[in-house]
Amino acid sequence: MNFFYLLVSAALFALGAYGVLARRSAILVLMSVELMLNAANLALVVFARAWGSLEAQAVALLLIALAAAEVAVGLALVVAIYRTRETTLVDDLSELKG
Amino acid sequence: MLLLVILLPLAGFLVLGLFGRRFKEPLPGVLASALVFLSFLLVGALLASGGARFVLEDWLPGIPFALLLDPLSGYMALVVTGIGFLIHVYAIGYMHGDEGYARFFAYFNFFIAMMLTLVLADSYPVMFVGWEGVGLASFLLIGFWYTDWKNAKSARKAFITNRIGDLGFLLGMALLYSLFGTLQISELKEAVEGSLVLPGGLALAGLLLFVGAVGKSAQLPLMVWLPDAMAGPTPVSALIHAATMVTAGVYLLARSSFLYANLPDVSYWIAVVGLLTALYGALSAFGQWDIKRIVAYSTISQLGYMFLAAGVGAYWVALFHVMTHAFYKALLFLASGSVIHALGGEQDVRKMGGLKKHLPRTHLHGLVGALSLAGFPLFAGFWSKDAILAATLSYPFGGVGFYLAGLFVAFLTAAYAMRWYALVFLGEFRGQGHPHEAPPVMTVPNDVLALGAVFAGFLALPKPLWNLIEPFLAPALAHLEAHEPAPLVEWGLLLLSAAVALVGLYLGYLFFRDYFKKKVPAWYRAFEQAALEGFYADWLYNTFLVNPAKELAFGLGLADRGLDRAYVYAGGGVGLLGRILAGLQTGYLRFYAALILAFAALFVLWGVVR
Repeated sequence: MNFFYLLVSAALFALGAYGVLARRSAILVLMSVELMLNAANLALVVFARAWGSLEAQAVALLLIALAAAEVAVGLALVVAIYRTRETTLVDDLSELKG
Repeated sequence: MLLLVILLPLAGFLVLGLFGRRFKEPLPGVLASALVFLSFLLVGALLASGGARFVLEDWLPGIPFALLLDPLSGYMALVVTGIGFLIHVYAIGYMHGDEGYARFFAYFNFFIAMMLTLVLADSYPVMFVGWEGVGLASFLLIGFWYTDWKNAKSARKAFITNRIGDLGFLLGMALLYSLFGTLQISELKEAVEGSLVLPGGLALAGLLLFVGAVGKSAQLPLMVWLPDAMAGPTPVSALIHAATMVTAGVYLLARSSFLYANLPDVSYWIAVVGLLTALYGALSAFGQWDIKRIVAYSTISQLGYMFLAAGVGAYWVALFHVMTHAFYKALLFLASGSVIHALGGEQDVRKMGGLKKHLPRTHLHGLVGALSLAGFPLFAGFWSKDAILAATLSYPFGGVGFYLAGLFVAFLTAAYAMRWYALVFLGEFRGQGHPHEAPPVMTVPNDVLALGAVFAGFLALPKPLWNLIEPFLAPALAHLEAHEPAPLVEWGLLLLSAAVALVGLYLGYLFFRDYFKKKVPAWYRAFEQAALEGFYADWLYNTFLVNPAKELAFGLGLADRGLDRAYVYAGGGVGLLGRILAGLQTGYLRFYAALILAFAALFVLWGVVR
């Protein structure tokens, strides 16, 4: 059973990774990152179940809080960028080219 | 009080060096002379009160800063400050109008301070400080007119040649320290007399100290710097390169006499080196055309005599000659300076001659100096030179060979002294312009020196007449038993050396009286040419030592530059790598994310596959 959960987790992660790579809108990229984060969270819970350990589940709870904070910061950045540049396309933000 | 002897001229150096430019012309000279004279009086007073001692414990770890005024150092300090004072006074006139007037006297005072440190030192490291200090003063003063490239080169030559000797001194000190665990001379004296633990080591230490003396006193084979040192102003030549600094080597041998008295083999070599140097200097003097270089070569020759005396074990005789030589050689140099001054800087004797008429006072000084140098009977140089010749027979390390060779050099000395005198003062004036006599500030010191050059010899006469110097110096020197010849023999030898000097003078007079009018034999011309070049010593050194070393330095410089370039290129390579890697920084977020993912995947794959 756990195997299928893990498969779901892997699929979620792959979807998220694809989203990060393929999407141009910063908000969608952020959502994809969120997806990857939750895939990892799911895997964590599955392992916790497999080992019968509560500690990993506690970590999963912590991760949810962390994801919320990350989204808050990320969205704030996106809003700030939109205000100054009138765009949220990540490909337009390439000033750090070496 | 003893420290004050050194501090007085040192204070003069500091004051003149820092504020000298604000002083009006004669003031720096007067101040410097007065300080040296004060030092002279102080040394005299301390010596009369029975010597003095100054010790500063823990100057260096285990090595105190020890000064000692005993008869030997007092005698030497009196010569240094006394003659030094007269030359200071002379320089007031000679350096008149020079741009670096105050700088000159600052250096002069510095030299006196360092020379007194050297002389008064009771431990070798302290002596070494003075030793290096006088070397520095010599360097600064040879290159005093440093805007002329030639002078700067001469100064460097003197300094570098001296370095070789100094290395010997340093190694000798190190060896003595490892043998006896102390470098204080009074303690070493007892240690050496105690027991000969390692005769070989002791001999090596003596030899190394002798190398130091060879460098400072311009003995064979390190004599090449002294003739070139004449590039400095004439008072410098008189003070440093004739009367005082170059005798530091003799002083070192006398100070270390407790060592050499136990080392007959080393002493033998000292005498041989001294004799060869005396011969070399005397022969080279015949070829020189520069009025000061003639005197410079005669200095080398006379220093050789002193080493001969020290080598055969007659330390007091060597010091006696140091004193008389200081008088007449300073006089000869200062008379040369007056001549140069009178002729507006001309130093070539071929453009002199006949100056007897124009410079009566200087002529007198030159005559007295030359006769004293030649060993004319009853002059100072006669007594001291005869004492050396007699010592080669009577002292334990001497021998008949030394005596005969010394006598031959005495003959040469008389001849070239006459050559100098005749070319400068006799015959017709061969130059242009109208020479004028020097001012009193220059002639009066010469008068005093001339008195010394005539009468200083009467301080030590052969037996059965009085001898003041030997008993005075005896407590500070090692005692070697001389087997006294019968008075009749001694006075016979005295007559012989007088005859040799007179014959030399007479033949020199005949030959050089009208030298430029007569036909000179071809062999003499060839000899003269070789002597002019100092028998190609410079050429030899340049070919075999200096130029190869220069080439080596040039090659190493090239290699160094190559190495630098390699480093620069290596730096450039890093820059290039940076530029290539910078290409990865596209600025596109999605590209970075892709890279992160790809490498994370690779990482995981690697973990799985492994």
